[in-house]
Amino acid sequence: MARMTGPTRLPRIVDVLIVGGGATGAGLLRDLARRGLRCLLVEKGDLASGTSGRYHGLLHSGARYIARDPQAARECIAENAILRRIAPATIEETGGLYVATPDDPDDYVDAFADRCDAVNVPCDDEPLAALFRREPALNRQIRRAYRVPDASLEPWQLVEANLRDAADRGSQALPYHQVVGMERNGGFVSSVSIADLRSGTIERVVPRIIVSAAGAWAGRVAALAGIELRMSPGKGTMLVYNQRMTDTVIARCKPPGDGDIMVPVHTVAILGTTDIPVEDPDHYEVTPAEIEDLIYEGEKLFPDLRRMRILRAYAGVRPLYAAAEFARSGELAGGDRAISRAHAVIDHESRDGVANFVSIVGGKLTTYRLMAEQTADVVCAKLGVDQPCTTADEVLPGQGSGRGYYWLGDRLAAHEATGGGDAALICECELVTRPMLEAFLDERMPCSLDDVRRGTRLGMGPCQGAFCTFRAAGVMAARTGGTVAAQAEPVEDELVAFLRERYRGTRPIAWGRQLQELWLSTGIYWGALGLDAFVSPGSEAGDGHG
Amino acid sequence: MATADVAVVGAGLAGLTAAIRLAEAGARVHVLAAGHATTHWAPGGIDLGALPDSRTSQEAIDRLAMVPGHPYGVLAAELPAALAWLRAVLAREGFELEGAPGDPLRAIPTAIGATRLAALLPAGMAGALPAWAPDETLVVCGPAGFRDFWPEAIAGALRRPSSWRGQTPPGRIEAVSVELPGLAGRRNLSSLDLARLFDDPAWRRAALEGIARAVAARSRAPGRVALPAILGLNDHPAALAAAREILPLLPFEVALAPPSVPGLRLYAVLRGALRRHGGRLQVGEAVHGTIDAAGRVAELRAPAAAREFVLSAGAVVLATGGIAGGGIVADGPATLREEVLGLPVDGPPAGNWLSDDALSPAGHPLETAGIRTDRHLRPVAPAGSTADGRPIAENVRVAGSLLAGQRYLRERCGDGVALASGVLAARKLAGVAR
Repeated sequence: MARMTGPTRLPRIVDVLIVGGGATGAGLLRDLARRGLRCLLVEKGDLASGTSGRYHGLLHSGARYIARDPQAARECIAENAILRRIAPATIEETGGLYVATPDDPDDYVDAFADRCDAVNVPCDDEPLAALFRREPALNRQIRRAYRVPDASLEPWQLVEANLRDAADRGSQALPYHQVVGMERNGGFVSSVSIADLRSGTIERVVPRIIVSAAGAWAGRVAALAGIELRMSPGKGTMLVYNQRMTDTVIARCKPPGDGDIMVPVHTVAILGTTDIPVEDPDHYEVTPAEIEDLIYEGEKLFPDLRRMRILRAYAGVRPLYAAAEFARSGELAGGDRAISRAHAVIDHESRDGVANFVSIVGGKLTTYRLMAEQTADVVCAKLGVDQPCTTADEVLPGQGSGRGYYWLGDRLAAHEATGGGDAALICECELVTRPMLEAFLDERMPCSLDDVRRGTRLGMGPCQGAFCTFRAAGVMAARTGGTVAAQAEPVEDELVAFLRERYRGTRPIAWGRQLQELWLSTGIYWGALGLDAFVSPGSEAGDGHG
Repeated sequence: MATADVAVVGAGLAGLTAAIRLAEAGARVHVLAAGHATTHWAPGGIDLGALPDSRTSQEAIDRLAMVPGHPYGVLAAELPAALAWLRAVLAREGFELEGAPGDPLRAIPTAIGATRLAALLPAGMAGALPAWAPDETLVVCGPAGFRDFWPEAIAGALRRPSSWRGQTPPGRIEAVSVELPGLAGRRNLSSLDLARLFDDPAWRRAALEGIARAVAARSRAPGRVALPAILGLNDHPAALAAAREILPLLPFEVALAPPSVPGLRLYAVLRGALRRHGGRLQVGEAVHGTIDAAGRVAELRAPAAAREFVLSAGAVVLATGGIAGGGIVADGPATLREEVLGLPVDGPPAGNWLSDDALSPAGHPLETAGIRTDRHLRPVAPAGSTADGRPIAENVRVAGSLLAGQRYLRERCGDGVALASGVLAARKLAGVAR
């Protein structure tokens, strides 16, 4: 990836500047690139490091929204089918089962199939004998089950594939680049200042149109253009379990609530979610009460849940927009979940008198492509481009023959097939070898250990980085002579930052085996390896990301 | 039913010390352990105590002994004799422990290019103890592609003066990787694989000659060469002697992440000593027992493969380790449980277990959690109960990091507490020997 090397005198001129490198921004970059526009995407962190990388991993069938938001349900099932076609390698065909526990309301259970039918979500009765044979860890008090086409969806690969397709058409995405200023010329944003957060240099970009796909951060981006856009970020906390106690997405037959869905993702299973409004999408904590709430509800699905090992807790912020709007008009009732997750494309020309600024807010990962399409339509209308959208028909790059059922052995088999069986295993939990790590670094250096984690799953297994982090740091240092990049952090500071980041996810669930694991990793890094020599007092980051 | 004079639960430094001392005194000893202990992952020195501003281990020990509730309050006096005893046990197997509690604590390079403070190291690592002269070169040298030791990263971090904890660093630091004989392309070797190769006299000569050439190309004397701690597993003294003979600079071993080869050597020596004195050792049994109405533990039980294993014993030494060792288990975010006998655990209140910062110099409040004892190492009733401070199990002694009140990582006192409490527990139980 090309990098800006310093302040340039001539501003970079692009058709569209996209702010935000989550799934929506990446999807929009692809969509516009395919319509022949030259675009630039900037993301203040790593790609998909915000909400897109912090969700529960579910490809919705729409069944979750049949009662509260039929429109969202229709969009989900349509996009679900499209994604299975265009991004098969990012999807595990887990299927989904909506089950009725004794705590779930009869009327909801009875109406479930009809409601699915009304919004075209395929739904079949699952015989209980087959249910318990397939998923023996489930609560035996479950009295009814429906099968729907839920699946699990890998966000980082999905974003990566969208960006690659855009790159093939001349559009570029820059991680660790933040918009720091916009110059308004009457009803027009004439230029945008973008800071390279790693080098500290600032570049001026002149776009014909700016699209904010910044999700929960959209209010801040709009404010740079002098526009008031009130977001209402909702924190969703999730628990990552050490094992797949289910190979199927399991959810409860009831209106969506806390701790009512379990999604098997790669080697783990993720229990979601809570929903709590937060002031600041950059600073939030996972609280003990949330965790207890999640486990208490989750036990209704899996009675042995409390005895299962939790690897970490993390949270993402939903990019809710409508909540704020409703709140303004006093119609908000019943908490955030009553609000449609459906998205909105906001043309700030009509709303705020800024002709070349568009925001895309709300939505969910499953409908990222639709959101991108609708946004691209608005952008193209403004620019007088009449190319049709092709993202629903063209398969994304790198999809091969699809992924199918996930098991870790696939990774090993693929690796051994290439004769790499004796390659150094850097991360034992997730089978990340040195060649896999180097291939990632070839493409992505300079990058942080946390970027490596998202790109390779390094450090995401039971040891949460205890055994692999210093190895990965060693591989990086061997390539660069001691620092991650000439102007970036030394590897040892990376090590400290990565371990602190992992701790944020372990701390809220530090009991049982995972507390012992925390003590082991502290013993390794503090006791045996003397990491405290690198720690200057008071250097702790204040970031609340879990 | 198996019987013993003393059952020792836990096979770390504390449990094995107590067991060997009892066996030396003629007791029939049976050691039961759920798994291997910190010997398998600790860095390999004998840490008696080190505080950020203490000049020597002895100074740290003396200060910790004054901290209310710290095990050194009772145990510090036992340390000199315990240390002398350990040196004798090691010497019998050709192992030497260099340094003394009164020596200055030195910044010892580690496998991430940081340093840790130590004063007492096995001979293989002791080359790092003398202060560095400004004209000395440190050559960091490792097998090419070995995943647990990255010379460039280590040298890069060691070149930062701040890595040396205020002590004088070497004048020059170099990194070099060496292909070892027959290992080209074999990258998935562990420290144990490599250590076993160094047990082979012919292979290690060829390997050391290759290392010598690479080191000589980088630096001339004066200087020292840092190698990963892989110089032999079963025949370390010979491998170390060969390294000192063949390499152009004084070699020293650097501790790695687990498994710890120096720790395994120590374990092998202690296990050998125990067996020589007729002690039995059984690893893989997670045992449980109950305190009877008379305040005694009469037997320990384990759910073995085919039928329940029962060990009847006159006394019990509990050396199961703290949270890391599995002796103390948190059942949830608010409940601490002692695993074998269900003893009351002394620890910080729920909600105040962990610091905000993973790497807080002060550590986590939960690190002090453990079993409170009287001066005889008998577990006592919890503070605030009517029997506060009174022993609750007459024939039980608690040793090692299971003891409450220490922060063995931050205070680097774990080995000292283990040794001294093992020796004291054995003396207190000497009467049960026949």
